[in-house]
Amino acid sequence: MLRKIKPYLLLFPAAATIVLLFFGGLFDGFLKSLGYFPAIGETGFSLKAYSSLFHSDAFWDSLIVTIRIAAISSVLSAFLGAIVAVVVFMMHEKSRSGALNLWNRLFQLPLTIPHLVGGYVIVLLFMQSGFLSKILAKVGVIEQIPDFPVLVNDSFGWGIILAYTWKEAPFVALMVYPVLERIHRKWRDVSRVYGAGNWDFIREIVVPAILPAWTVAAFIVFVFTFSAFEVPYLLGVTYPSMLPVYSYQLYSSGTLADRPEALAVNLILALLTVLLGLIAYYFSKRWNVLKGWE
Amino acid sequence: MNQLRIIQLEKKFEDRKKDENPVFSLKPVHLTIKEGEFFSLLGPSGCGKTTLLKLLAGLEQADQGEIWIGETEITNVPPESRNFAMVFQQPLLFPHMNIEDNIAFGLKMKKVKRAERIERAREMLGHVGLKGYGQRFPDELSGGQQQRAALARALVSDPRVLLMDEPFSALDPSLREEMRILLSRIHQEFGTTVVFVTHDREEAFHLSDRIGVMSDGNLLQVAGAKELYEKPASIQVASFLGLKNILKGSAGKFGMENRSQQVELADSRKSSMTHLIIHPEKLQLSTDLEKQSTAEEIIFEGIVKQLRFNHGFYLCTVQTENTLLECSISSRQAETVSIGQKVKLSAQLKGLHFVSR
Repeated sequence: MLRKIKPYLLLFPAAATIVLLFFGGLFDGFLKSLGYFPAIGETGFSLKAYSSLFHSDAFWDSLIVTIRIAAISSVLSAFLGAIVAVVVFMMHEKSRSGALNLWNRLFQLPLTIPHLVGGYVIVLLFMQSGFLSKILAKVGVIEQIPDFPVLVNDSFGWGIILAYTWKEAPFVALMVYPVLERIHRKWRDVSRVYGAGNWDFIREIVVPAILPAWTVAAFIVFVFTFSAFEVPYLLGVTYPSMLPVYSYQLYSSGTLADRPEALAVNLILALLTVLLGLIAYYFSKRWNVLKGWE
Repeated sequence: MNQLRIIQLEKKFEDRKKDENPVFSLKPVHLTIKEGEFFSLLGPSGCGKTTLLKLLAGLEQADQGEIWIGETEITNVPPESRNFAMVFQQPLLFPHMNIEDNIAFGLKMKKVKRAERIERAREMLGHVGLKGYGQRFPDELSGGQQQRAALARALVSDPRVLLMDEPFSALDPSLREEMRILLSRIHQEFGTTVVFVTHDREEAFHLSDRIGVMSDGNLLQVAGAKELYEKPASIQVASFLGLKNILKGSAGKFGMENRSQQVELADSRKSSMTHLIIHPEKLQLSTDLEKQSTAEEIIFEGIVKQLRFNHGFYLCTVQTENTLLECSISSRQAETVSIGQKVKLSAQLKGLHFVSR
């Protein structure tokens, strides 16, 4: 009996901590979002916070900005990451030189840099008085520094998009590359003999091979950017801000009475993430993308 | 005529780390393969047969020489434009496509409409005995079935030449036999020119119209199975074909001397010959020790060392004065012979084969 439950007992401290901190926090947030806030004497439950959120323009503007930035960043990093992975793979097919290894490492470099540092890099490079604008002004591409487009702290969110694309593309490449490694070296020969050029090979063999891992990677990037805080806080504007920043603003700058709304934003974020996960899972099953590869 | 002509084709593989001699080189190959012929490249591992096949497919670039199909030179034509097909050692079916789509892959690359390519793929499935398997995925098929599907994929696009790189070597013996019969039937049915690489003599002999024996990057001899067996051009060929009773001698004006045995050569042009090959079935075993040699035959005297049953007949190993000779005898004759018994082996001079190297 003891032998049977021993693994569970050994896992219990770690599992309990995770459950307590993660689900406990989530549950606490859920209760507070429903107005249960004994610290300010509120012990009843209501959907007031949700209702007022759904009636606030700031929330909808924030949600739209969040979806737009997360979607564009995910799509750009997913494509860029997949292209990088495929290029490295095709180069690997042709030669196995040391230069290729160097490229491989270079593409992975952004993975080692924290998001906040990545955000600062974007600020330093792309702000109007940044490195890039100075170079362009120096070489005469733009007349003066203010002619450089506003890419940091802009209302569209290009700075955030740039930071996430730069940071997450290597992540996508890293997820996709091991799958590409599963592609049999001789499949290229087979496809060539049967009339497939490079593009045909990529379309018919490489893309179907990477699709499952690629969609999962893109989804992870989307969910991450959807609920990330530090880069939007650093590179975004005060209005409309991305949902995590909006939640922080409500939580920290408002009164205690605004906190249920702030936590309701977090709960909505969590729910949307779960919903997106289910949608991604449904489509991956429906497309049968894993068939044959398992 | 869409014959495949290989003219002085050469390929060297350099060692990337050293600038010394090439690691392997395919010596100039000159060969014509007739349209509809089943041609096998036979040789041990690493002899260059797969390299030659890859050169034909366009998967390797030749250093020298030309490849022609009919009146068209294809030496520098990329593999995707040659309209060849290739079956590899492994089936190499694409795992994410069902069998029908795998078979129709070449047709898809040729922009054949889906309905037509599926119809042709289904028809081809019937030819290789996989009717009804079209919707399955490769991992739902056995190794033999996968290789059949690979064969169907190769044939469906009606290739000018079908290249096969040891396609049955990964299969177990019974499946291999089954696949040989299938391939033989399909070759007769479709009349496709086939270049087949194998290290299996039996396979090459069973399937081929002609066989090219290779060793160390050299194409040593090209001939039909019977001629190769009866008249190997060199000791290398004879050894690779597993021929027994190869007697080394010293070349003489009048004959070949195997120490005590003098073998008269009918043709003085053969004076440079240094080896004599006597096929086991050409040796007659006799228990009559009084038997004397005549002008047309050579006789060896020896003791029976071993009797081995081999597919319906016996192989009898006889220790003569200087060498071991093998002869094949019937089961009935084997009953009259015992190990340690003194016997005589005779062979007609006209049945002997001499080689110079």
